[in-house]
Amino acid sequence: MIRFEKVSVTYPGQGRPALDDISVDIEKGEFVFLVGSSGSGKSTFLRLVLREHRSTAGRVYVAGRELNRLATWKVPRLRREIGTVFQDFRLLPNKTVHENVAFALQVIGKPRAQIMELVPQTLDLVGLDGKADRMPDELSGGEQQRVAIARAFVNRPKILLADEPTGNLDPTTSVGIMKLLDRINRTGTTVVMSTHDNSIVDQMRKRVVELENGHMLRDQAQGVYGFQN
Amino acid sequence: MQLRYVFTELAQGLRRNISMHLAVVLTLFVSLSLVGTGVLLNQQAAIADEQFGSQVEITVYLCNETDVGRCNGAVTDAQRGDIMNAIEENPEVSGLRTESKQDAFDKTLAVSEAQGDTRLLEGEDAAVTVEDFNDSIWISLVDPERSEGVESAVATLDGVKLIRDQRELLEPVFDVLDAAQWGALGVAGFLVLAALLLVGNTIRLAAFARRREIGIMRLVGASTLYIALPFLLEALVTALLGVLLAGGALAALLRFVIHDQAADELKFMPWVGLGDFGVALGAIALLGPLLTLLPTLVLTRKYLKV
Repeated sequence: MIRFEKVSVTYPGQGRPALDDISVDIEKGEFVFLVGSSGSGKSTFLRLVLREHRSTAGRVYVAGRELNRLATWKVPRLRREIGTVFQDFRLLPNKTVHENVAFALQVIGKPRAQIMELVPQTLDLVGLDGKADRMPDELSGGEQQRVAIARAFVNRPKILLADEPTGNLDPTTSVGIMKLLDRINRTGTTVVMSTHDNSIVDQMRKRVVELENGHMLRDQAQGVYGFQN
Repeated sequence: MQLRYVFTELAQGLRRNISMHLAVVLTLFVSLSLVGTGVLLNQQAAIADEQFGSQVEITVYLCNETDVGRCNGAVTDAQRGDIMNAIEENPEVSGLRTESKQDAFDKTLAVSEAQGDTRLLEGEDAAVTVEDFNDSIWISLVDPERSEGVESAVATLDGVKLIRDQRELLEPVFDVLDAAQWGALGVAGFLVLAALLLVGNTIRLAAFARRREIGIMRLVGASTLYIALPFLLEALVTALLGVLLAGGALAALLRFVIHDQAADELKFMPWVGLGDFGVALGAIALLGPLLTLLPTLVLTRKYLKV
């Protein structure tokens, strides 16, 4: 589903590469943690998958496409197969929960009938049944993150990218969010999640890819945070 | 594509940024009005040129007994024959007629009679008599713009007192039309530049106000066109308002200034009409949307890049 072949990225004006010779292969339906300290290259990794950046060297394949060869006008199509969740939720404050989730479908031209069916279904899935008419500022952090996940998942993407989704949440709420991501993963969606949260990584015992200063430190099938072979 | 979202965004965008949009509309209104006025003046100059240019003649005055300067006594029959030959053989000449000094005197007398004062021209002690006038040859030209050939062919011949090109009399009228036309277009040029900068600023502000929505649209895979469409429609709406106002101003100029004032007072001059107004309106209807859509396309590519 996602394959990096000897991928390097150097940002203009920076001597040290943000990613250096990374090769990794993520299969369909996998759950992968991307761990490492700030500046290790996690965000660059996710940006490459989203084709917000192109690699300086090597090849990136996502959902069967080689992204360096992908024409700019085809990028929106690629992104419709990827859902993205951020630490800061990025909800639209002037729209209700329902409108926030529906927005993702409206702007890619989904018919109204389909939106009216998919949005309640997805809100139910993420545990926000009955909160469709609330405004984001009436919700707790955990609930806001659930809205963001619903928005990322409502179009049933093949891949879900989560950039530190529990970074702003307390441990109890974080567990709820992890259970939700796990449930989404069980529907066959590939999940790649970057995190600093070692207890989550340790508990979930999923594949861990660890980056440090742009290099890959380990790629471990059922890893724990900070453990090295 | 769901157009409902696009139109909701359009209405919201217009409302949210109303003062900037108003500034763009007003600048467009004034600059397009000036461009339209420039186009109308251009048409007016062409009409005047066509009307008077074809009627313009060159007049060759022949020497009199009393004339001094170039003349050496009255023109002789031989000299007159040479002059007529030189004119008739010139390919730039399309026709000619002669006027005797008596004809010239009669014309002057008729004008004076019409004005009610013929004291200088009549009576035993008249100050101006037939002998003060000259025989003359009135030449019409194939191309009224090109009179130099005829003038130089005749100017040096004996018996010629003076050559007058009537174009010289009309020159000031054309000069004023030209100056007004270029003045209008010049000022319009500066205003057009101001309009372009204002449109640029408006888009920058609008893109900033919508940065969250735009960010999410990019993430979930909305097409560039879909993201840019509210901006393009906003640009189109402001352009159309500017064009409408400018069109109204031009129509008012045509109706109240040209038809009711100028055409009434200067009846000898043909004036621009509805057809010319149509041309000016067409020009600003093309220019207005171009002025707003072009910077919008360039800047949305910059700010809304996927």
